[in-house]
Amino acid sequence: MDFFHAHQAQHYLVLAAMLFALGAAGVVLRRNAIIVLMSIELMLNAVNLTFLAFSRFPLVPNSPMGSFLTGHAAVFFVIATAAAEASVGLAIIIAVFRSRTSVNVDEFDTLKL
Amino acid sequence: MAEAILFYLFAIGALVAGAQVIFRRNPIYGALSLVGALFFLSGIYVLLAAHLIAILQIIVYAGAVMVLFVFVIMLLNLKEEELGEQRITAWKGVGLAAVVASFGVIAWRALGPAFPQGALMQGDRRVDNALLVSGFGGVKTVGRILYLASILPFEVTSLLLLVAVVAAVVVAKGRI
Amino acid sequence: MEVTWLHLIPLLPLIGAAVCGLVGKWLPKSWVYAVALGSVLLSFLIGLRAFIGLGEQTPLFHELWFNWFSAGSLRVDMAFTFDRLSGALTLVVTGVGFLIHVYSVGYMEEDPGYWRYFSYLNLFIAAMMTLVLGDNLVAMFVGWEGVGLCSYLLIGFWFTDEEKAYAGRKAFVVNRIGDFGFLIGIFILFNQTGTVGIAQINSAVLPLGVASMAALCLFIGAAGKSAQLPLYIWLPDAMAGPTPVSALIHAATMVTAGVYMVARLSHLYVSAPGVMAVVAVVGVLTALWSALIATSQNDIKKVLAYSTVSQLGYMFIGVGVGAFFAGTMHLVTHAFFKACLFLGSGAVIHGLHGEQDIQKMGGLRKYLPSTRTTFLVATIAITGILPISGFFSKDEILGQALHTRAFSFLTLTPNGSARLTWLGPLIYAVGSFSAFLTSFYMWRCYFLTFSGEYRGPDSVHPHESPSVMTVPLWILAALSVVGLVLGLPQAWVHGTGLQHWTWEHFTEGVFSRPRGGAPEEFSPYLGYGIALIVGWAGWACSYALFFKRGLAGDELLTARVQGLRRALANKLYVDELYDFLIVRPLWALARGLFRVVDATLIDGIFVNGIPALIAWVGAMARRFQNGDVQRYLAVTALGVAALLYVFLVRG
Repeated sequence: MDFFHAHQAQHYLVLAAMLFALGAAGVVLRRNAIIVLMSIELMLNAVNLTFLAFSRFPLVPNSPMGSFLTGHAAVFFVIATAAAEASVGLAIIIAVFRSRTSVNVDEFDTLKL
Repeated sequence: MAEAILFYLFAIGALVAGAQVIFRRNPIYGALSLVGALFFLSGIYVLLAAHLIAILQIIVYAGAVMVLFVFVIMLLNLKEEELGEQRITAWKGVGLAAVVASFGVIAWRALGPAFPQGALMQGDRRVDNALLVSGFGGVKTVGRILYLASILPFEVTSLLLLVAVVAAVVVAKGRI
Repeated sequence: MEVTWLHLIPLLPLIGAAVCGLVGKWLPKSWVYAVALGSVLLSFLIGLRAFIGLGEQTPLFHELWFNWFSAGSLRVDMAFTFDRLSGALTLVVTGVGFLIHVYSVGYMEEDPGYWRYFSYLNLFIAAMMTLVLGDNLVAMFVGWEGVGLCSYLLIGFWFTDEEKAYAGRKAFVVNRIGDFGFLIGIFILFNQTGTVGIAQINSAVLPLGVASMAALCLFIGAAGKSAQLPLYIWLPDAMAGPTPVSALIHAATMVTAGVYMVARLSHLYVSAPGVMAVVAVVGVLTALWSALIATSQNDIKKVLAYSTVSQLGYMFIGVGVGAFFAGTMHLVTHAFFKACLFLGSGAVIHGLHGEQDIQKMGGLRKYLPSTRTTFLVATIAITGILPISGFFSKDEILGQALHTRAFSFLTLTPNGSARLTWLGPLIYAVGSFSAFLTSFYMWRCYFLTFSGEYRGPDSVHPHESPSVMTVPLWILAALSVVGLVLGLPQAWVHGTGLQHWTWEHFTEGVFSRPRGGAPEEFSPYLGYGIALIVGWAGWACSYALFFKRGLAGDELLTARVQGLRRALANKLYVDELYDFLIVRPLWALARGLFRVVDATLIDGIFVNGIPALIAWVGAMARRFQNGDVQRYLAVTALGVAALLYVFLVRG
């Protein structure tokens, strides 16, 4: 890989993989539910980056979908969905916090509140 | 050249900020680190000629979603002692190993067979630049895709947002 | 000749058994009696009608009632054959059976379980008829097992008494040993001839080894059913049942099934002369053994039981030396006088309200005159001091044994040095000695019961039985006398009308002749003389010891041969020997198997182990669902890593 001619696809893909791994590690390792949600946002961002990288550096000369910008459209929807999911997730955390006064995920192991 | 410098700048920034998110104990520091990571990522998006997305990331993601996160952290108002200690269990180790392995696989693939020369080449010429239409990543071209090709997901997403609003209100309200 | 009504003979008592057994408890007593007695009487009448119909043109009636099952090349039908032998047996069984049913009406008057009793009794008649009339070995075996079952049910009739229940169980278990031999015999015969039909087997040509094996196995069955050495032990214990049961089953009919079977398969047995020798030897040894034991028994029924075993031994001597007609003739006459003896003893027991010990009897001739007379007639018959039925039949057997040629070509060793021509005369000598003993113990029994003075407690007042019980006694006594016609020697009746009534003439052609041929014509007078001398000698000894002195005679005898007498009184310790050799090891084996196989292996591993295993697996699996989301995610990450590996690396 050429470090200095950096405008190549691998850089972006590896960066995205690293960010994704960081996010997944955070989800698995951290106890605080808010941190978990933020790690999920990090993972979604890594996905966005991958979409955009493949949109900019396609694998084939002709796009099977008519244009190369469908990646951008996908990212648009990902952002919207991430927003929706974050809001609902935080609402749940608030609701659970009310009865348990704790936001540690390993204390949420029974169905009854 | 300039691109390389900028890229590495933004990349390292994003990685450090991401690491801060998962390693800091206080969630407010994590939230602020995430905001920083989002900014750096936005810069990288610009390098990828995704201008609209970059702006949207700042306005929506960093500006609205993260603000929401900060609000909730403030609302919970966890004291220092309530934050809790980190517990390491065997299963967490397994998960971590799996995550690292996944990363390894992806990286290996990305660095290897996916793009043998870093970009699409035809002989000696890079062809991907020629594929960039004018206005690549701009409002007009992205808008065309959104409203013409993927109008259905667009409308459904608006419904999704409505549902999310209602759900958030209902769940967090407690007594309806 | 094919007929369609033969099956009624076993079927009617079976229906009677079903009715009495299922609803007899709620029917009026007289109805139960009517059903039970009526069914047996009807069987007897049908048999009589068939018997009269037998003649030159119709040597036998045959009926194929239904095909029971066919499997491969085996075809088993419920089929019946009514020829001269089975016909005569039918009359004997149903006739004597009917008389005993009548007697039982009186005997079981006060027993609350009378309906059960008559049901079992009818069932017995049905099974016995199936045995006698059976056309093939399997049908005969059905009857065989059936009479064994009824024997068990009736011996243990008063099952609330543990000892009586055990006696029934003992009879069944010992019978089972014999039945096993019977089954092996059937298997061998089917394997070699491809059929189980008796007529077919009797006309098949079998190699010596096969025939010997089959005959021997069948004889083991006969030894169990007919109480020969070593399987006779159940018969004395079987006296725990009601006395009419002892009369019918264990004297007149069931125990003769073994003799009947050997006679029926006469062709098979003459093909295996070695086995015939075994049969004769077992018979004579049994006769001697049980006669010895009978001399020292004090229970009147036990005396008669051992006497039955002894007389069965005589029947086996008869069929063993090739004189099948002699053995079966003794079967018929024995049915008459032994039934009479047993019913008489039953009348005595009934009259003394349950007393069975002859030491507490005596002088009963004054109180029970009818019983005494019939008992006297029957005793004369069995001991043969006057020429009535028993005399002729027993002497015929011994005479045939003396002059038999069935063993003349048998040798003790394979390469043939000593020929067994002396076996016949030896059997004759031992048999005559046993006849002496028979006379001795039977007269002892009679004298101690009816002669002298009453030795019992004053509280018991002996009384005669009602006429429903004494009439059968008189009929049987009369038959014991009249039965002499069966055994009249050819020399006396040749050319007269009586010739057709002798058993030898009657069963002409039914049996096969032994290999060595029939014995040459011999004069019966020498045999008669010796038999009379032997019988009177026994009477004389008994008279001297017991007529006047009563029990003092017993004491005199014991003083002389103390050890022997005690051993005989204890049945020569055979039961104890079996218990030590067989019963205890089997119990130990069963206990061991229970502990090792049942408790440890099956319970431990299968019954308890499998649930424990399942519970352990469940406990393991439960850990995946404990509500910890991060664990779920970790597992998911693991799955994702695997998928990525598969798709990206392996392509």
